[in-house]
Amino acid sequence: MSAAAVENVEVSGGRRSVPWLLPLVVVALLVGVWAYVNSLHMDSIETRSLAFDVVATAVWKHIELVVASTILTIAIGVPLGVLLTRPGIGRIGAVFLAVANAGQAVPSIGVLVVLAMLFGVGFWMAVVALVAYALLPVLRNTMVGIRQVDAALIDAGRGMGMSGFRVLTTIELPLAVPVMLAGIRVALILNVGAGTLAAYTNAGGLGSIISSGIALDRMPVLIVGSTLTICLALTVDWLAGLAERVLRPRGI
Amino acid sequence: MSDKHTPGDDAMIVLDGVSKHYPGQEGPAVAELSMEIKRGEFVVLVGPSGCGKTTTLRMINRLVEPTGGRILIDGEDVTHSDVDRLRHGIGYVIQQIGLLPHLTIADNIALVPKMLGVKKAERRKRAEELLEMVGLAPATYARRYPRQLSGGQQQRVGVARALAADPPVMLMDEPFGAVDPIAREKLQMEFLRLQDRLRKTIVMVTHDIDEALRLGDRIAIFGPGCRLVQFDTPLEILSNPADDFVRDFVGGGAPVRRLSLLKVSDVLASFGPADDAALGRTVPVEAGESVHRALELVLAARAEGVEVALAGGVRRIGLQTLLTAASQPTTVPA
Repeated sequence: MSAAAVENVEVSGGRRSVPWLLPLVVVALLVGVWAYVNSLHMDSIETRSLAFDVVATAVWKHIELVVASTILTIAIGVPLGVLLTRPGIGRIGAVFLAVANAGQAVPSIGVLVVLAMLFGVGFWMAVVALVAYALLPVLRNTMVGIRQVDAALIDAGRGMGMSGFRVLTTIELPLAVPVMLAGIRVALILNVGAGTLAAYTNAGGLGSIISSGIALDRMPVLIVGSTLTICLALTVDWLAGLAERVLRPRGI
Repeated sequence: MSDKHTPGDDAMIVLDGVSKHYPGQEGPAVAELSMEIKRGEFVVLVGPSGCGKTTTLRMINRLVEPTGGRILIDGEDVTHSDVDRLRHGIGYVIQQIGLLPHLTIADNIALVPKMLGVKKAERRKRAEELLEMVGLAPATYARRYPRQLSGGQQQRVGVARALAADPPVMLMDEPFGAVDPIAREKLQMEFLRLQDRLRKTIVMVTHDIDEALRLGDRIAIFGPGCRLVQFDTPLEILSNPADDFVRDFVGGGAPVRRLSLLKVSDVLASFGPADDAALGRTVPVEAGESVHRALELVLAARAEGVEVALAGGVRRIGLQTLLTAASQPTTVPA
């Protein structure tokens, strides 16, 4: 996953040419699904499931889930990644990476259910599960990003009298930013997708529209739920791409 | 600054029985090394790889902590002083150059002044001054990023950055090693001219004996077993190598290479008042010119010797006398 994320850094320059393509696809999808729903004669169940406020609440809840879990992921993953790249901590780093690896390997639905059984259901349980799932790319990319900084630059920094902290803030972190951002972008996308599972522990979100579409055997409901999820994922990816471009330090 | 610990009044850097043992390694990386480097002196540490020269250099600014001995800079024992403050006063230039790619050239140069709390406008002015000094037009280069510069230009910036806080001491670890040969020679000569003006105390590491002979006021040759074999002027090293290792290391052609280190005035001094009066055509040269250059002029003009204008009249030296000077190491004035 993070290997892909690292590659992302290299190719993201190529995206420059068509930054408007993704929003265009999103708008086309939304218009398409709106036209499709309007062309139907919906029964009462469908009408209720697709009422504006129901859908809007689900979308908003989903965004809340993604934002909360991503912020938490960054808040844990970046400092932890920085800490694990400090000299003299090498072996512990491997342990944490293994744990993060396991977090990603375990299916989120499993984590969700276990957490629900242990601590009950709800928004924050879903957030915890999402953080466990999305931590790996952020943690690993932070470590990779810092470790790939040329040792000669750090030597030059130390040699001119920078403290370890100063080396971190003026050399290591700025130069790790592109790789770190790529990891955060991956985490965001993962969270949009995995967030649909949160509906199973009563945390709401677009997953609730999808699952009710399945449970009630209503195709239009299912289509609306999944299309909105896709649109949200594409939009988030697009925004993250913009952020990467803006936040990438100049000169590298 | 200097106090009672100072061994010699003009000693800027003193290594006093300094050694470095790495744990798990059999022999020491540097053993019981003592050296005294004078104020304003350009000392080159040279030797085969793994002989401890880089370790020695890095112990001076404590990027490597010595395991024994003392290091005095300007009379102050720095082995226990605040390491970051110590390094603010020591310019550091490395082979990999190490410009921060995400900062402009001006910001790179201003890194140390910024740490020292110099105001922004002043930093900017200082950066432009230094760019000018290393031969890069500030208007063109100040706002560029390192990757937009060639290797040679980048190392000029590296030197400028090391000079930014006007440190009395500069450490250079193979500074011209990564630059292509043509640019290297140009850089070396420019750097010598800069040093003539600035008179910094410089310690430089290289594995290239020719570079050492060209640049150093004195050269420290490190040999097998991580010991200092000879520490002397280039001329003395070519003329009187301490042992076979030094002779081998310096390589063949020592008499010919001495020609560029000997001055015409040295020849005059060692051959007394005898005048090669019976010479045919001669070419005029300055007394301060190297014998090498004098020979070049003679050969180019198909002349038989040179004439030097001195206070006491014109002296003429024949080709044969000039060549003899190079082949007689013991007559070289100290």
